[in-house]
Amino acid sequence: MAIPVIMPRQGQSVESCIVTKWHKEVGEKVVVGDVLFSYETDKASFEEEATVEGTMLVKFYEEWDDVPCLINVCVIGNEGESTSEFDQRDADEVVEEDTASKDTNKEVTTEEVIISSGSDKVSPRAKNLASKLNIDISKAQATGPNGRVIERDILKLKELGIYATSAALSSGEKLQTSGTGIGGRMAVDDIGAVTTQVTGVELPSELGYRDEKIPNIRKMISKAMSNSLQTTSQVTLTASFDATEIVALRKKLKASDIEVNVTLNDMIIFAVSRVLKNHAALNAHFLGDTMRYFDHVHMGIAVDTERGLLVPTVFNADIRSLVSVAAAVKEVAIQAKEGIINPDLLSGASFTITNLGTFGIESFTPVLNPPQTGILGVNTITQRVKEIDGELVTYPSMGLSLTFDHGALDGAPAARFLQELNKALENFTILLMQ
Amino acid sequence: MPKSQHLDPKILRAKSKITFTDIPVNQYDKTIEEEKGNFSNKDFMRIFRDMAIIREFETMLNSIKTTNEYNGVEYNHPGPAHLSIGQEASSVGQAYLLDKDDFIFGSHRSHGEILAKGLSAIEKLTDKELMEVMEEYFDGQILRIVEKMGKHDTVKELAMDFLLYGILAENFARKTGFQRGLGGSMHLFFLPFGSYPNNAIVGGSADISVGAALFKKVNSKKGIVIANIGDASLACGPVWEGIAFATMDQFKKLWEGDKQGGLKLIINFFNNQYGMGGQTNGETMGYKMLARFGAGVNPEQMHSERVDGYNPLAVIDAIKRKKKILDENNGPVLLDTLTYRVSGHSPSDASSYRTKEEVEAWQDNDSLIEYRLNLIKAGVAVSDDFDTMLASVKERMTKIMKMAIDYDISPRMDLVKEPDSISKYMFSNTKVEKMEDRPVDVLQPLKENEQVIRNSRKVRTATLNGKPVPKLKQFQYRDAIFEAIINRFYEDPTLIAYGEENRDWGGAFAVYRGLTEALPYHRLFNSPIAEAAIVGSAVGYAMSGGRVLVELMYCDFLGRAGDEVFNQMAKWQAMSAGKLKMPVVLRVSVGSKYGAQHSQDWTALAAHIPGLKCVFPATPYDAKGLMNTALTGTDPVIFFESQRLYDTPELFNEAGVPEEYYEIEIGEPDIKRVGSDVTILTIGATLYRAIEAAKELEEKHGLSSEIIDARTIVPFNYEKVLESVKKTGRIVIVGDACERGSHMKDMAQNISEMAFDDLDAPPVVVGAKNWITPAYELENSFFPQPSWIIDAIHEKILPLEGYVSTSNYTEREQLRLNKLGV
Repeated sequence: MAIPVIMPRQGQSVESCIVTKWHKEVGEKVVVGDVLFSYETDKASFEEEATVEGTMLVKFYEEWDDVPCLINVCVIGNEGESTSEFDQRDADEVVEEDTASKDTNKEVTTEEVIISSGSDKVSPRAKNLASKLNIDISKAQATGPNGRVIERDILKLKELGIYATSAALSSGEKLQTSGTGIGGRMAVDDIGAVTTQVTGVELPSELGYRDEKIPNIRKMISKAMSNSLQTTSQVTLTASFDATEIVALRKKLKASDIEVNVTLNDMIIFAVSRVLKNHAALNAHFLGDTMRYFDHVHMGIAVDTERGLLVPTVFNADIRSLVSVAAAVKEVAIQAKEGIINPDLLSGASFTITNLGTFGIESFTPVLNPPQTGILGVNTITQRVKEIDGELVTYPSMGLSLTFDHGALDGAPAARFLQELNKALENFTILLMQ
Repeated sequence: MPKSQHLDPKILRAKSKITFTDIPVNQYDKTIEEEKGNFSNKDFMRIFRDMAIIREFETMLNSIKTTNEYNGVEYNHPGPAHLSIGQEASSVGQAYLLDKDDFIFGSHRSHGEILAKGLSAIEKLTDKELMEVMEEYFDGQILRIVEKMGKHDTVKELAMDFLLYGILAENFARKTGFQRGLGGSMHLFFLPFGSYPNNAIVGGSADISVGAALFKKVNSKKGIVIANIGDASLACGPVWEGIAFATMDQFKKLWEGDKQGGLKLIINFFNNQYGMGGQTNGETMGYKMLARFGAGVNPEQMHSERVDGYNPLAVIDAIKRKKKILDENNGPVLLDTLTYRVSGHSPSDASSYRTKEEVEAWQDNDSLIEYRLNLIKAGVAVSDDFDTMLASVKERMTKIMKMAIDYDISPRMDLVKEPDSISKYMFSNTKVEKMEDRPVDVLQPLKENEQVIRNSRKVRTATLNGKPVPKLKQFQYRDAIFEAIINRFYEDPTLIAYGEENRDWGGAFAVYRGLTEALPYHRLFNSPIAEAAIVGSAVGYAMSGGRVLVELMYCDFLGRAGDEVFNQMAKWQAMSAGKLKMPVVLRVSVGSKYGAQHSQDWTALAAHIPGLKCVFPATPYDAKGLMNTALTGTDPVIFFESQRLYDTPELFNEAGVPEEYYEIEIGEPDIKRVGSDVTILTIGATLYRAIEAAKELEEKHGLSSEIIDARTIVPFNYEKVLESVKKTGRIVIVGDACERGSHMKDMAQNISEMAFDDLDAPPVVVGAKNWITPAYELENSFFPQPSWIIDAIHEKILPLEGYVSTSNYTEREQLRLNKLGV
């Protein structure tokens, strides 16, 4: 009997997953436990194993297709069995692919540059057309009333070819303006809704590139980042502290019997989780009209993975010991890197720490993870000099870059946090004893 | 304004005076003994029995309303009960001589009248006829129920139970009532017994009954018509209008042959002294005696008379004498039937407006006691006979009540299981070529009619050999309407037309030019300027079985006929559960040029009222086709015409307007111009402005417009519109009505909901301003212009490159105007 295999739902908030790789071809024998396909959510990767024995009869989706959760992905059964009744793709979906591939093949010689107006108003018709043509609405320049993206704006993108846009965007041509208000007056909508004609731009015959579908996770990161920068008022403060004590302590710990490898980063996480308790506005979520202050510190740890940036959470970091913090950080980082992390661990943080110090970065501006109000960037250690008793001595100096939401709190309280943090790190032994 | 009647100034200016003759008041003074030659003992007793049945019926309802029980049977009746305890003698006396061919129309307080009329009809019909009536009514459904009540000794006994049950079940909103529960207490009737609708609108029956009398006269039908209305209704405009209409000189002076003479109509006031809590005699009216009113109406003084309605024999005597006047073609008659409402306006009436002594004084005069004593005195019967009869009536009533409240025997409509139970009665949707099959009364063969000949020489297209047809040679909108109408006049013998300036003048807009020569007076005549009576009488005419075409010269006069259009014409098909048809076409001319009270498009008012079909053709082809359909249907149609269009030739149908007969289905819009970028849905004359806008959009902005002419407003098939919007994604709805609350807004809402995912912008309405219509010279600032359509598209749908609006269609302006209510 033919058995369909559905796309599992990984976590409550997950609506669809990308099929990243097929491990079985149509016609291939399958035994229980065989990996059928790999898939990923916006945050993690998974493998789907066969629970029945038989032959792979049909695959409804290709690699890199976005599949709604709980929808049939493939069918396993005996050869010759009917599978069409399991096909849950609607007719439109099948047609869409053709349209999309045709459109992207279109050559563009003369192009009209579109400056995206970033409008969030879209007519239902435009929305439907964009989805049908696989066009990213955010690229459309809204020319409808009140900055609404209307059908013609999507058709314009289609005409230009979807991928021509971003290149054109950077052409730097002068923008042509004309008022659309009553009597030709400039209307508010005219600002930021401008088109430019670029003609006769010579293109090299061969550009030499390859197109790769952007994975879900990349799309999510991109969305989160631009959302962060658009919706919050971010300010970054940078300061440094004398790392002599934590460097020395780390050496001692390394030489000790403690199995867990405690890194400088762990120590900073530990210190931040303690100091934050005195700075409620930074251990909080800024929710527009309310501030949510957390009783404990839930530390988001930025982890660089092959798939991209992931931020797992170490919950209740403020009541963990240094070793416990170190162990927890390690565990979630490994899970994130391996793509096996529980999606629910990828949210819920009240503050985030990101470390580029290991790459020798001396200072940077971390991007907030809204609705969190702060993120601390950890920089590399450099040798600095200071004057002690009239003599210049060198010491290891470590930089910290704090980005905070100026909408949620002012600069002075943020600076006070950084100041207290630096002091705590310089006197880490005392902190440990508290 | 017939030329045959010369208005001689010498005569009209001569010194003279008006004299009146005496109006009889309660002149009847015969004793039972003296009446024995006219009535047998059985007759005398039957009169008492009928009064007793009415008294018991009303007493039962009063008991149910006030104590939730009658004779030990419990029931809760939340509906209305306007009772007529005290008025029994007047209704029994009135009905006594009437048979099924005599029609009575009633009021909200008419249980007694239909019972009396029914009982009288039962007495006169043969057993065979009675069985036919009962078998045919709802396929014998009510009869089957009544038969279950046990064996009836006679068919008449069975028919009495049938009548009582049908009326009571209707009161209790049961599917087994005479109107399937859709009429109820205030809209009760039973046509086979000559009982026509009661009316919950005070005086509502007055002008309707005029139409019924008109039907009888025009179609030479047997019987008289009585409008039973209350004393308080004499203050209502439509009652005055009905009386004015009914007493038009032309019936006696201008109508010819057997049609000459007054209407066989009695406007009877059951003068029970109160209009709700207002005392008509002495407080809310000034006539002192209602009968006085007849004196001023016509030289015959409407044969007005007050009769003592507390004596059934006095009323019978009056009806006998008045019927004779009617039969001699000297009607109509005004009757002031004096009575007294012992019951309150309704059971909740505390009678705070009258004294206990007054009520008791009338109870001392109670006709059931007085008449009974008189009969005993005259040796007609002994007291026990009456007691036996009263006991049997009570027993019958209890039995009927038990049947009527039993949900298994008398269920209500189940709108869950049969959701279309009511909707199926809103329109009859039948096609009837002629309401009666007999030769038509016409004055000449159709081919010899001057206008028909004139039209035959006209060019039926807008251009001929590539050249525009000169105005005078064009077959125009008014000709198309004429052609459909005259054709139906030569097919349907019952069809009549009237309104203001219909005859001789040929209608204010010359649509009826030529009709006068073709039709005798009784088929085409001028009415008084009485819009309520024009429409109300048409309702009565159609109810009685005829087809009628009436007109309101301007749409603005619709308010003058408000009740007749909104409550009467629209509602009776459904309130009668399909027993009544309403083949009325009401032509309503939508004006322009004449300012605030002569230039309004009120299509939305008509469209809002359930039960009316509303059409608004904009081209000669559509006008003829839709008029043909309207005139063969059996539903009320408000036929809107635009005064801007009467001289418009056919610009859209390439073959022009066919000479032969054709119909256009009511409810189907028509694509007048095919396009792909924007849809413009037009109502009425704005079609032509949309065409202009479409040209400019095409030429200057490269936008291709699809123009859909709604043609009909109710019903309306949206499929074509949705199909178009699917293609274009954009729609503007245009009409000459003031935009707020217009039917365009209703259409926009429907389109928004049904085409939401296809829309590139919300549907936009371009209507007239929410102002008074200004003078003609300023109309371009009031009515939608082609440029407004483009402005609206530019501002709200699709900004046009380089376009500069002339009118303000921005959202800010919309907000501001709504805030100001203008």
